[in-house]
Amino acid sequence: MTTIRVEHLARIEGHGGITVELDGGSMKRVEFDIFEGVRLLEALVVGRDCEEVAPVLSRICAICSASHVLTSLKATEAALGVQVTPQTESLRELLLRGENIQSHALHFFCLALPDYLGYPGIVALAAERPADVELGLRLKKLGNLIQEIVGGRAVHPVNAVVGGFASLPSTEQLVELRHALDQGRADAEEAVELAASLPSLQLGRSPTAYAAGVAGEGYGYYGIGQAVLLDGTRRTVFAPSEYRRLTNERPVAHSHARYSAFEGKPFMVGALARLAIRGDRLGAPARRALQRLGLELPGENPLDNNKAQLVELVEDVEFALRVVDELLERGLRPEAPRAFRRRAGQGVALTEAPRGLLVHSYAYDEQGRLVSADVVTPTAINAASIEERFRAAIGQLNGCPPEELADRLSIVARAYDPCLSCSVHVLQARHEG
Amino acid sequence: MPRPRVGIFGLTGCAGDQLVLLDCEDELLALAGMLDIRDFLMASSQNDGDSPLEVALVEGCVASRRDEERLRRIRGRARWLVALGACATGGGVPAMDDGNDRARRERLATVYGQTGLSYDSLPPRAVTEVVPVDLSLPGCPVEKQELLALLAHLLQGHPPPPVEWPVCAECRMAENRCLLLDGAPLCCGPLTVGGCQARCPSLGVPCLGCRGPIEDADPGAAVPVFAQNGLPRDAIEARLRLFSARARWEKAE
Repeated sequence: MTTIRVEHLARIEGHGGITVELDGGSMKRVEFDIFEGVRLLEALVVGRDCEEVAPVLSRICAICSASHVLTSLKATEAALGVQVTPQTESLRELLLRGENIQSHALHFFCLALPDYLGYPGIVALAAERPADVELGLRLKKLGNLIQEIVGGRAVHPVNAVVGGFASLPSTEQLVELRHALDQGRADAEEAVELAASLPSLQLGRSPTAYAAGVAGEGYGYYGIGQAVLLDGTRRTVFAPSEYRRLTNERPVAHSHARYSAFEGKPFMVGALARLAIRGDRLGAPARRALQRLGLELPGENPLDNNKAQLVELVEDVEFALRVVDELLERGLRPEAPRAFRRRAGQGVALTEAPRGLLVHSYAYDEQGRLVSADVVTPTAINAASIEERFRAAIGQLNGCPPEELADRLSIVARAYDPCLSCSVHVLQARHEG
Repeated sequence: MPRPRVGIFGLTGCAGDQLVLLDCEDELLALAGMLDIRDFLMASSQNDGDSPLEVALVEGCVASRRDEERLRRIRGRARWLVALGACATGGGVPAMDDGNDRARRERLATVYGQTGLSYDSLPPRAVTEVVPVDLSLPGCPVEKQELLALLAHLLQGHPPPPVEWPVCAECRMAENRCLLLDGAPLCCGPLTVGGCQARCPSLGVPCLGCRGPIEDADPGAAVPVFAQNGLPRDAIEARLRLFSARARWEKAE
């Protein structure tokens, strides 16, 4: 019996490991252990006022805190019957683009790139290839600038509230952002060229199903109206309220994330899934990036998710440029958050977070206090898929020494850009009495 | 001067304070040159895990036996142990959990079924409750400028001066209109330790108290004043505990 252990996976967000037990040719155990501490935030937020829910659930995760805040607000507003303005929807979409740029730049340059170039991390990489690291940091800073200007803070944005935004960006801030986006456009193209020059890595290659949320129009992340599961050529469509029919989660002993599967099969969410399902909605520059990187869609190589993020970087920068130009031309309408009355109700919201499909589902009582919360995060959905890819990789790397196998499996897990703080927050909390 | 050996660690939490460090895009490479970063699992697959450290930055709360063991090992290695952010300094939002282990086990069972009862899970505690801490930087997350100032001070061999004024003072300095006087049901600025330059009230968002209570906060006196704006007492107290249930709020009640 050979045991392969990765005690504490590096260069990811949160705490997890890998356990593999091989007996001759057979895989006895293949586990992605998520031992991130259990915080039970969704249980603790029960009984809280509707305006306290987004600030608390933002703390599920820092890297995708804007997604948690906006998905939470969207679910709360659906439950309380609050209709936000088109300007608010447009600014919320811009905020999520900023988050996506920040998150993808962090993951691609700081966490994944060292795998392709053979470095332990960004500090070692910066010592020998400073230009690559500076490029990544500029893009990350651009994403954070959007988050600061629209969200009021890069981590745990405070400016988005029930009904809209507390404050609106100033013209000076939008002009500053416009200049940064010009540089961002050039930087995103350079990032694509860098990715195109990297050695090809194929690990854990296997057919998989994908799922992604689809917006009314365009390549949006906020206004998601339905989820689509793509298995081969078959597409299954789910309304937001049907999300449990898609995820079918169940708890498992070795992981603090609950596992998802549709018709018994795990599926992948994230940038690569979005390209597979709604890549036809990309603008021309992102389509060129897609071609330059030669991604097969729907593909079988999980590592392509790293490069798929760069296609989205191009798309998101272009979108942000369009929105900021429009805002500068038209001017922002001064508007306060919509007034609302506390009442009983239920609401489900779907969005696309950087790592994939995110669901917040709430029920409120007549005083506007939270009665129950259910949150399904992309990394929780991906956990089962990651194990499936581990199995494929182990089969393909037959005879590989244990230490090298551990490294290879870490690269597979990292390609999913797992966010383990998020993953342990798939849960359903219900207030008794 | 040899570069100080530094470790950056995350216990249970959202990794937001480590992210603030990575968000120092303009300073990160210079910092990496000035510090000998030995442990930073979030950013590197090469970690020391053993050698003595001049500075250990620790974020997150202690919510498992594994967290507690890691923290004690880090404490043993570090000359300066810095608790970073709301979870490390005051328990943060996970500590809204009241420490009642039975209630916690019920919640675990609600969420994960019987499987949950086998998890390595403890009631969340602040880092400051588990080991002696040399310095605390509050906030959810910490402010970038405060984090950089703290590192600059430690590079000079001494701790930064403490912040002894509330968010309210910074809000006045920024010449904001007072949200409480304008009728906001509650703003925690008068009781919350400053240093954020009144980030939220400056946007028109009432302070939620993410930086925890100032040294001489007197909630017993403040709650009746807050209550004049119409919010029930228990809702005010629940808000004050949102980010720092394990801090000193309760002492004054």
